Amino acid sequence: MSEPVAKHLTGEIRTSMYRVIIKASIDQVWSELIRSDRPLPFFFNGQYDTPGLQDGAAFAMRTPDGKHTLVMGKVIEFEPPHRYAHTFRFTTSDDPVSIVRYALKEVEGGVEFTLINEHSAADEVSKSEKQMAQGAKFICENLKALVETGKATTGGRMMLFMFSLMAPMTPKSALSSNWPLERAPGLDDIRMTEEA
Amino acid sequence: MMSPDAMDAVFQALASATRREMLDIVRNDPGCSVGEVARNFDVSRVAVMRHLSVLEEAGLIISDKRGRTRHLYMNVVPIQMIHDRWSSEYSALWAGRMLDIKYLAEQRRAGGDGGGEDDHAREKGEQS
Repeated sequence: MSEPVAKHLTGEIRTSMYRVIIKASIDQVWSELIRSDRPLPFFFNGQYDTPGLQDGAAFAMRTPDGKHTLVMGKVIEFEPPHRYAHTFRFTTSDDPVSIVRYALKEVEGGVEFTLINEHSAADEVSKSEKQMAQGAKFICENLKALVETGKATTGGRMMLFMFSLMAPMTPKSALSSNWPLERAPGLDDIRMTEEA
Repeated sequence: MMSPDAMDAVFQALASATRREMLDIVRNDPGCSVGEVARNFDVSRVAVMRHLSVLEEAGLIISDKRGRTRHLYMNVVPIQMIHDRWSSEYSALWAGRMLDIKYLAEQRRAGGDGGGEDDHAREKGEQS
């Protein structure tokens, strides 16, 4: 579990960034970001299933009832309360694995929260990549709302409600029984271009 | 959600055709450098830097310094938050539409495929 892991991709990367200022202490934002004791509204009500978030640890984001799994990943950087990064794949598609990074920085008036999506330039832009771009906005807005007001945005709550209604339509491939932690993707699952 | 000052900064930043064009350039070429943006404009580099810093202070551009180069990225979150401020009330309507689809799908599954489509179309027509 604590074997040393590479923190970065070597090769050409397609990056997108999302940022929001959250009026709170950095510890508040960090602890909300990584909490595993309940579903996280800003992560589409996914709940961490992990032996413990730390460098090299595998995790699954499962639905509140545990029946389905939305996302699998492996931690590649974990430096409380400033940096956290992990590999990322949706369970519902075979699209290429990518990386999500979170950077927290204390600024005047609160915390600057930055979400970074990294995709190998060796891969075409996938449906998952587009979904992650949409998801990133949702995560920034709703993490801010949750930390500042105690609940997600109105639109966010509406979307989570819709999700709960759609749950019966979740494909069988997302059943948690198909997604033990051993299936979490590593950095070496990402196909890279030749190093420049 | 967004503080009044933060929102003012976004509108001020966007109230310039040049800065909107810069935002287009950065959005279409994530990670580009200041020089790459400046190449598209007939003004001094200092003027370009000034515009970019207005965009950055409004949170619309993220400047990531790696080594000696600054890489620029567009941050769409402030615009999304402005959008949500005025449109989230309508999310109930949207959710209503989604529910229509769910009920329709369930009805269809329960009733099989035989000849139900006209009924569904009629029901939907009556609702809207």
